Amino acid sequence: MPEKTDRVQDQLVAFLPNLRRFAIALCRSRDMADDLVQRACERALANEQRFEQGTRFDAWMFKILRNLWIDDIRKRKVAGPQENIDERHDIAGVSGEREMEARLALNSVAQAIGELADDQRDVLLLVCVEELSYKEAAEVLAVPIGTVMSRLARARKNLAEATGISTAPTRSAVIKGVRK
Amino acid sequence: MTEETFSDEILMRFADGELDPDMVARIERVMEIDDRLVTRVAMFIETRTQAQAALKPLLDEPVPEKLVAAVEQMIEAKRAGERVATVSVLPFGRGRIARPPSRSQWMLPIAASLAAAVVGALAGYWAAGTNERTRGGLWVAGVIRPALAQALATVESGKEIRLAGISDRFRAIATFRNDSRDLCREFEVDSQDRSTVVSVACRSGDEWRVSFAVVAPGDAGGYAPASSTEALDAYLSAIEAGAPMSAEEEIKALAEVRQKGAK
Repeated sequence: MPEKTDRVQDQLVAFLPNLRRFAIALCRSRDMADDLVQRACERALANEQRFEQGTRFDAWMFKILRNLWIDDIRKRKVAGPQENIDERHDIAGVSGEREMEARLALNSVAQAIGELADDQRDVLLLVCVEELSYKEAAEVLAVPIGTVMSRLARARKNLAEATGISTAPTRSAVIKGVRK
Repeated sequence: MTEETFSDEILMRFADGELDPDMVARIERVMEIDDRLVTRVAMFIETRTQAQAALKPLLDEPVPEKLVAAVEQMIEAKRAGERVATVSVLPFGRGRIARPPSRSQWMLPIAASLAAAVVGALAGYWAAGTNERTRGGLWVAGVIRPALAQALATVESGKEIRLAGISDRFRAIATFRNDSRDLCREFEVDSQDRSTVVSVACRSGDEWRVSFAVVAPGDAGGYAPASSTEALDAYLSAIEAGAPMSAEEEIKALAEVRQKGAK
């Protein structure tokens, strides 16, 4: 029996804000995100024994949630928009999306993140926002670490271009800029 | 000094702290003299900082109560399931004639599902018999018929009676309180033509409600085999059943039930 504090069920509730943020950024709708988060928690609890002690719980949860999301997209593509579940999602998605847009309009960086290609956005979220290492992100996305790096570099260049992020020399910050 | 050239990826790794110390030192040396390099590195640092800042509000947003409640409920259900599945600690021993655990090998893994499913199966058990049996069913959807209710309110643990109007034998096993402090009774009912039902009923308002029952396989008459009591033990530990009451406590508690019922 694992240590109580390491157990998935003991960490889940505290992690909900992060998981939900990741979900909203992925599907750009709060309603869909909440549904996604709930299903991810359900799956995590059902597969609790598969969580490897000593590995990052957040990375594990992000992977579960993202895989569910990818399944959803795939199902939608196969089934077409007539399928009931998609109908529900689309209806939920419309209001949610508008809400997200309203919020995003206030923040051009968030908007630019939302406009990135999915594969670039995902890696940016995991590394820059959720602070996973390249290796951990590669594990979540099930791609080689080299792919993580090339996508991440592209994502950041695109983000900088879209938002006009200042790239003026800030020498002192940079010299101290090595994070770890 | 010749200026080294670095790829975007290398600079990004530098900015993200994903480079080995030697490479970090090399880049830092060049940055001392190359402002363009500084600018390129700054872009990677800035995008990280800005992306984080941009999505910070989403993190601060309160998680909808509905979602939290749903997740908490799932966790609680999971924990309850684990408690049911863990039968290593029994709430209290029972003075039954233990039989060789031939059935327990397969009974135990399904104890958890049994505990959840048995109540629903009850109606089926009693309804599956003859018409007479159906009419005389002891409970429907967990609500107990008068004959059984009377027995629950009167028969002391360890005693056995024949239920009024039905030829089934009723045996009171123990009286205790569950985690909600409701009065509960563990009992068994033998029918003449069927096996024994091991059951728990708890007071809910002014009535008894069956919260657990398992049909013990094998011959009727006599005590339920050990396998069915393992499911019961699992259930009792899930509802955090208190220790069985002493004879005096039980008499008092049952008297209270009868008083309330008479009002």
